[in-house]
Amino acid sequence: MLQMAAVTGSAQTRFSRRTDGSSFRDWAGEAFEAALAMSGLEHADIDALIVASESDFFTLQLNPASILADDLGLIGAATMRVEGGGASGQLAVHAGVQAIASGRARHVAVVGVDPSASQLPAATVKLLYGYSFDAWTDGMTGATATVLYALSYRAFAARIGIGVACLDQIARQNRANAMHNPNAHLPRQHKLAEIAESPLIAAPYRRLHCSPLSDGAAAIILSHPDAVPSARSGAPRISGIGAASDHAQLGARQDAGTFTAKREAMQWACQQAGVTPADIDVAEVYDAYAGAQLQALNALGLSETLADDLEAGHFAADGRLPINLSGGLLGQGAPVGAIGVAQTATCALLLEGRYHPALQPQRQLRHALADTHGGVCTTAAVTVLSQAGAS
Amino acid sequence: MISYELTLPYSLAPGWLAPYVEGLQKGRAMGRSCTKCGTVSFPPQRRCQCGNPDAKWVRLSGKASIELRTDGSDGAFGLVQFEGAANRAVTRLEGFSPDQSTGQLIVPPTDVPALVLAPSKPRSTS
Ligand SMILES: [Zn+2]
Repeated sequence: MLQMAAVTGSAQTRFSRRTDGSSFRDWAGEAFEAALAMSGLEHADIDALIVASESDFFTLQLNPASILADDLGLIGAATMRVEGGGASGQLAVHAGVQAIASGRARHVAVVGVDPSASQLPAATVKLLYGYSFDAWTDGMTGATATVLYALSYRAFAARIGIGVACLDQIARQNRANAMHNPNAHLPRQHKLAEIAESPLIAAPYRRLHCSPLSDGAAAIILSHPDAVPSARSGAPRISGIGAASDHAQLGARQDAGTFTAKREAMQWACQQAGVTPADIDVAEVYDAYAGAQLQALNALGLSETLADDLEAGHFAADGRLPINLSGGLLGQGAPVGAIGVAQTATCALLLEGRYHPALQPQRQLRHALADTHGGVCTTAAVTVLSQAGAS
Repeated sequence: MISYELTLPYSLAPGWLAPYVEGLQKGRAMGRSCTKCGTVSFPPQRRCQCGNPDAKWVRLSGKASIELRTDGSDGAFGLVQFEGAANRAVTRLEGFSPDQSTGQLIVPPTDVPALVLAPSKPRSTS
């Protein structure tokens, strides 16, 4: 197994809509300090700061890495911002791994943050997102993110032969997992009827099939395998990264419902890690919408018989392949730049057996998968994490 | 909280899409026809799927069939196939009943050049 980098520190803030006057600078600081403390490293050990943030519309900063380097006590370190829509956080993790693999850095702080909920009205964010896929075509029609995801899911459901009830199940399960996650935005014990009767946004998607906009931050510390502090020698390793792209316009794709970029990204990551999808023990999957989780499981090669596997509880917290123990975007929430970083942090903590106790599987986990995308899977980025000793 | 209003008057340049944008404003479907393989794209794609970047602009009929649709509080939209195009398009649907599955590109009701489809008029029998 390739050991590209160790995840020596992992942390995140609570994901929620903040009304306490705190800013994204506070949240970034909180997540970073907690991750750094876990790593046992000092501020001066950090060679590079990589900040993931989806949009200047949220932060008003064209270069949030510059003010955060100052706030975090990292002046002098190399800084950059990474942006790839919803995939921003995972792409930032990849940039961190590459900085270490290139020999440029021994220790990298990856900080994902966005004030997606509190800095602009939700209707404004919805409008901006509508333009963000392809402003010249989809954007001008007034199609929202939910509309485009709905059309993509419709194509997928028609191909796979899967019903709408699956969507209700996914939303219920992810938010039920979030009940045990103190950082979650929407911990809920939904009744299926409550989901099925929530307002129709873009059929088949109803309000409760959609992830919320959240505020929050997440941070990880990546260390060169030869530079891991001795107290952290068991820290999980990043063993594979993969990224790929697809046409932004759904109509330009062979099949509007298949997440082809995700499939390719997964193949890259698995090849690098020397694993197959069947080796994955636990996964955090990009569930911006309930159906996107099903499309992801299919594209990632984690399920050949989706409806049956779902029915059998294979993806539940106590199933053979728990998906989105954190609650995912549906339950834990979605401060966009933070999502991919939080997913990777969650996978690292799960492999270490240090995740929230009620969600930590009792059996030994060897490989975990963090899956993120931007657009309707236009930009895909996945990361495979493995036990330090895994081969 | 530091609350203030920020107004952003955008001017989105059409660039190479200019014939497409001008066409939409008149309710015309202007696609791109590859000079090598003849494949027509609408919405236009800068580079043909065969790899050739050179194309000439052609006017399509604007007729389209709806393959997939979605309705709800965000509006009515479809993934549609325009007659003569190799790719599909996401369009706004105006005034479609659930059983109508063919339509025609129309002059957009607002001043932005948008892909808007209205039901095909029933053939006159008089
Ligand atoms: Zn061609």
